[in-house]
Amino acid sequence: MSFHAIVIGAGVDALVAAHLLAGRGKQVLVVEERAPVAQDLGWVPPQVTGALGLELKADAPDPWITALLPDGGKLELWRDVRRTSESIRRFSDRDARRWPDFCRRMAMLARLFERLYLETPADPLNLRFALRVRGLGREGMVDLMRLLPMPVAELLDDWFECDLLKGALGAMGIYNIRQGPRSGGTAFRFLHHHVGSPEGVFRPPRTNLSSVLRQRPGVSFRAAEARKIRVNAGRADGVVLDDGEEIAAPTVISGADPKRTLLELADPGWLDPELARAIQNIRRRGVAARIAFDSSMKANIVLAPSLDYLERAYDEVKHGRVSERPYLEAHSTPLGTEVHLQYVPYLHDAKDDLAATARRVLPGLENAKVVSILRPADLEREAGWPEGQPYHAELTLDQALWMRPLPELAQYRTPIQGLWLCGPATHPGGGIAGAAGYNCAQAILRETN
Amino acid sequence: MLKTTPFHERTSALCASHAWRRWAGYVVASSYELSHEREYHCIRAAAALFDVSPLYKYLIRGRDAARLLDRVVTRDVARSQAGQVLYTPWCDAAGKVLDDGTVARLDEASFRMTSAEPSLRWLEANSIGLDLTVQDISESTAALSLQGPQSLAVLKALGDIPPLKYFRLARTQLRGIPVDVSRTGYTGDLGFELWVESAHALALWDALMEVGRDYGLQAAGMLALDVARIEAGLMLIDVDYVPAKKALIESQTSSPYELDLAWAVNLEKEQFVGKQALAAEKARGPAWQFVGIEIGYPGLERLYADVGLATRLPQAAWRTSVPIYSGAEQAGYATSGGWSPLLKKYIALAHLRSRWARPGTELDIEITVEHRRKRAAARVVKKPFFDPERKRA
Amino acid sequence: MKRYDVAIVGGGHNGLVCAAYLARAGKQVVVLERRERVGGAAMSEEVFPGFRFSVFSYVVSLLRPEIIRELDLPRHGLHILPLESTLTPLQEGGKAGEYLAQWNDHDQNRRELARHSPRDAEAYDEFGMELHQMARLIKPILAVAPPDPASLHPRELLDLARLARMFRNIEKRKFNALWRLLTMSSAEYLDAWFESEALKATKSASGIIGTMLGPRSPGTAYVLLHHYMGELDGVFRAWGFAKGGNGSVSAAIAAAALGFGAEIRTSAPVHEIAVKGGRAKAAVLEGGEEVEADIVVSGADPRRTFLGLVGEKHLPGEFVDSIRRFKFRGSSAKVNLALGELPDFTCLPGRGPHLRGAISISPSIAYLERAYDDAKYGEISRRPYMDIVIPSMLDPAMAPPGKHVMSVFVQYAPYHVNGGWTDARREALGDAVVDTIAGYAPNIKSAIVHRQVVTPADIERVVGLSEGNIFQGELSLQQMFFLRPAPAWARYRTPIDGLWQCGSGTHPGGGVMGASGRNAAVAILGGRA
Repeated sequence: MSFHAIVIGAGVDALVAAHLLAGRGKQVLVVEERAPVAQDLGWVPPQVTGALGLELKADAPDPWITALLPDGGKLELWRDVRRTSESIRRFSDRDARRWPDFCRRMAMLARLFERLYLETPADPLNLRFALRVRGLGREGMVDLMRLLPMPVAELLDDWFECDLLKGALGAMGIYNIRQGPRSGGTAFRFLHHHVGSPEGVFRPPRTNLSSVLRQRPGVSFRAAEARKIRVNAGRADGVVLDDGEEIAAPTVISGADPKRTLLELADPGWLDPELARAIQNIRRRGVAARIAFDSSMKANIVLAPSLDYLERAYDEVKHGRVSERPYLEAHSTPLGTEVHLQYVPYLHDAKDDLAATARRVLPGLENAKVVSILRPADLEREAGWPEGQPYHAELTLDQALWMRPLPELAQYRTPIQGLWLCGPATHPGGGIAGAAGYNCAQAILRETN
Repeated sequence: MLKTTPFHERTSALCASHAWRRWAGYVVASSYELSHEREYHCIRAAAALFDVSPLYKYLIRGRDAARLLDRVVTRDVARSQAGQVLYTPWCDAAGKVLDDGTVARLDEASFRMTSAEPSLRWLEANSIGLDLTVQDISESTAALSLQGPQSLAVLKALGDIPPLKYFRLARTQLRGIPVDVSRTGYTGDLGFELWVESAHALALWDALMEVGRDYGLQAAGMLALDVARIEAGLMLIDVDYVPAKKALIESQTSSPYELDLAWAVNLEKEQFVGKQALAAEKARGPAWQFVGIEIGYPGLERLYADVGLATRLPQAAWRTSVPIYSGAEQAGYATSGGWSPLLKKYIALAHLRSRWARPGTELDIEITVEHRRKRAAARVVKKPFFDPERKRA
Repeated sequence: MKRYDVAIVGGGHNGLVCAAYLARAGKQVVVLERRERVGGAAMSEEVFPGFRFSVFSYVVSLLRPEIIRELDLPRHGLHILPLESTLTPLQEGGKAGEYLAQWNDHDQNRRELARHSPRDAEAYDEFGMELHQMARLIKPILAVAPPDPASLHPRELLDLARLARMFRNIEKRKFNALWRLLTMSSAEYLDAWFESEALKATKSASGIIGTMLGPRSPGTAYVLLHHYMGELDGVFRAWGFAKGGNGSVSAAIAAAALGFGAEIRTSAPVHEIAVKGGRAKAAVLEGGEEVEADIVVSGADPRRTFLGLVGEKHLPGEFVDSIRRFKFRGSSAKVNLALGELPDFTCLPGRGPHLRGAISISPSIAYLERAYDDAKYGEISRRPYMDIVIPSMLDPAMAPPGKHVMSVFVQYAPYHVNGGWTDARREALGDAVVDTIAGYAPNIKSAIVHRQVVTPADIERVVGLSEGNIFQGELSLQQMFFLRPAPAWARYRTPIDGLWQCGSGTHPGGGVMGASGRNAAVAILGGRA
């Protein structure tokens, strides 16, 4: 069989791109070495489910998170805005009154990004982009201009006084990046994770997109590792597998991270050395460990009692250490309880201390058995996430939108004709499941038709 | 503080003029004698010895050494043989010249590259995924340039030199000192460059000067070299072209085509930095050319006679930008020039827009006479101005 | 009672610049300064007999060349002496040679950097070129009065379009590079260029000046660029020391203003800006005297101006919220030392040319981050960042013959320090600074004849800068350009008719630029900057 396109990797973006092309009559081969580590967190845009006719199960927990205090107190944040206000009122009357307005204004900005995320990114001088931003109205425009570069701590300090509320929300500003809540650009990150969620809900949903895509017929699968992307006279024309077999195709789409794709799989000699250097400098540091416990604890909790708590945890990783008091989130899966523990340095040796820390700070896990511990280095090996970073390139403001992961690569094209990039390292970034694949496929279809 | 070359102890003792200049952070002599005239004539009539140690030199070794160099330079390195030296430019991805230098193949997997600008970062940036090492041997390798009709005789007096063809290299011993001898140079004449470990620099210098006396060998400085290299039609970085990394605006950059280096661009090579841009430029035709200019003596003479002066010829080569006109339009500009004592001609190297660049084209060059801007007739000629048999024999 | 065209509240350098341009245009101008001398934080004082300090701001670079030319400041006594170098000792107790220096001479600099890293030596030139290009791109923006992007007013739309065109004409690659500079941290930006820690840290340090941010905080690369915009004699990124101290900068501007016919009143503290019917009528001095003017311009920072001098009740609620949100967290302190002898740095002993430049205590990025970490939680940095200059090496008149003055800029000393800025804490800061310097130059303690410690609280109290923030408001993107000091009020006007603002709490921000003062004057005169 001859293929129109070979897709390297079977993450959700790669699979969405594969299926969209297949849906247009293309013969598509997906090459993937390993079963992916579950990355089921992320809003799936309706354009993606619509285009592929997917029926997904999305969990919509209520409360969408419970914020814990070390002394045992807790704050539940509900899907209903008013109910959440009441919940907050126990801690601060002022914050309870401000909650609905905060939710409204964040939601307005999130709606803008919902549109931006389903297109190849435009730069800020683009007229359509400018008009869209103006369409937010004065209040929205000012909110946007102020919010994008701000630290999430500043945003939340401006609105609220309750530390526990701020910590629970602020965690989304630093989720999976090597910054603290006082770092600029984290308010953007916070907003990014709000995109696609209803007003007042600041955690992305979990869906079964990954398994649905894997089971969907229409593309060929090959369990193998891609060793090389074949390039001839500056054009990609196929893939070489680890066993030496060469498969030809005029279009190659890589869901692997940009550095692996362009500097390892393809011959970097085809690139402008300045671009190659910039690719080497893409920041992609993983900062979280995933620990699976065998526990029946029903949980959807966050341990981030204040912004300073998060900031102090971040301070430790700057100096190469794990914090004694890390930021944690735990949620239930059919297999037990999964804990996200941040910040863990990439070169962190020990494993047991991480499980011990999780047990120490999260009630209910004391007697739970550890099923697996994946530190950033383990995630790199098991999931193919460079340095353990699930988004392949950190989602900071300078590596976002039309600069993601680099301005030269932000339109999914690479300088090598016929070689495309899609995956969490491209716009819009991880957490918006399938959008990069969707955008990439649209770009390919536009070019080949 | 400025650096001194491994030969400084000798060159400083000889520098009666105290005329030093900077080259790549080193001090080198502009001339040794009070005037550079005799040093120049040695190049063409006897033998001249130049300290060219400030060149940057890199040793590239490994399985992929040739591959790296082929990624970087515009000429075909893979096809070169051991002992061959290639003169080549190299470019950025836009096809604009970053630098020019030589690549000498020492053996199957080793090369010595020279450059005017430091190039370690560029070489490393191009080495991704390649199996090789790049070693900066700029300071540990001293270099001399021995040029002139007697240069071969001088060398032969020091040791057994196998017959060396033009742009070939041999590894040999001179008075027991291991030296790489390449038949290369910057004078467009019979000549050799000698590459030696810095620790042996003085010993080599002393040996050369000792035997060289009988052949009229003289230490010569940069002023003398400048005249010779202009006669040879050879460009100089930062003078005749702006290296792409130093250009502030695009119009300051030059492609190899615009520097008369089309012969050094091998578009058959599978890949090298700038290939795509250069292929497109070749198809379009370059906007500029780099040519030789001869300034007419009668016209020049008349300009001075008009104000009651004898013709003033430049005492040393100049390195400034001088406009060249065709009627009312500016056709381009010269960047190097001077009087050739050998050819008895006032010559220059110039950049001209392509439509005026054909040899034989009659143009005017600006000359300032008694504070007034005048024009003298000039003609486009092919380079080099001086190309003796003995250079390649 | 005399009536003026313009009354300017505050005789800081921006107020003086504004006065000079307005007077030059024929306006009757009066400057009302609280203290007995003009200059604000750009002042010199003989704090101890024979020893002259630039008490607060201490170097010149960002002062706009066009202001120097247009007001003919050299004729009025401004003489800028270039600083030649920056010396970064690598560690306390370092042996001779354990330093990284940056020199003005290209070859000397390259040789020194190559000592640490041949790659850095090569990258340095390219880096300099890149920032030079970026500074050139930003330069025209300095003189723009930022339009209101949400406005439908034709004039604002036209200005927005002009701005967009200015940016669209920038080559794509440069535009992207600029964008990254605006959003990255200085450390991460520099990580992509260099490998020597000391070099990265020293350069990074100019990204943290006057901020409550660390070198790894996004937004500091912008501040680095901001400091790169300085020009001396056509050379970007050149810094100098004004002969006579920074007070002579203010004195020269004041002389220019007087030369154009402006009046300057010192010891004339303004208590209130009188507003009647939504219009500014007069500046009211303590003691009741009303100085009436058609236009009142405030050179004080936005908080002091609007929440202090004007009063909330005259201002729209949204505007008041914005001003309340405007961040001032001061983090800088000064320690000024009168020395009986020069400091002797163990890493480069003796009296050498390095003492005519700056000495930067910034051995690594981690050092700077730790200093920042301390301050985040309200503590003074245990091991602070310091920028040290010895003005008397360039201008011997600053000290008695054979003696010296040393100016030490310190970060971080947070305004909101735990426990407050008591006298004891001030002295403790002074001690920590001297102890740290002693680690690099052990003779410093015995060399000190006098010591003056200036905390953020002192800066606020003496000069009037809220929370001791030296830029009249942090230079963070969320309060820059369109948003400085408040959205829709970035063109030097205020919600009060006849009241304008000219301090560095407006675009383009602080650093003894004079740009705010000039832009405000241009706007008042009805022109487009």
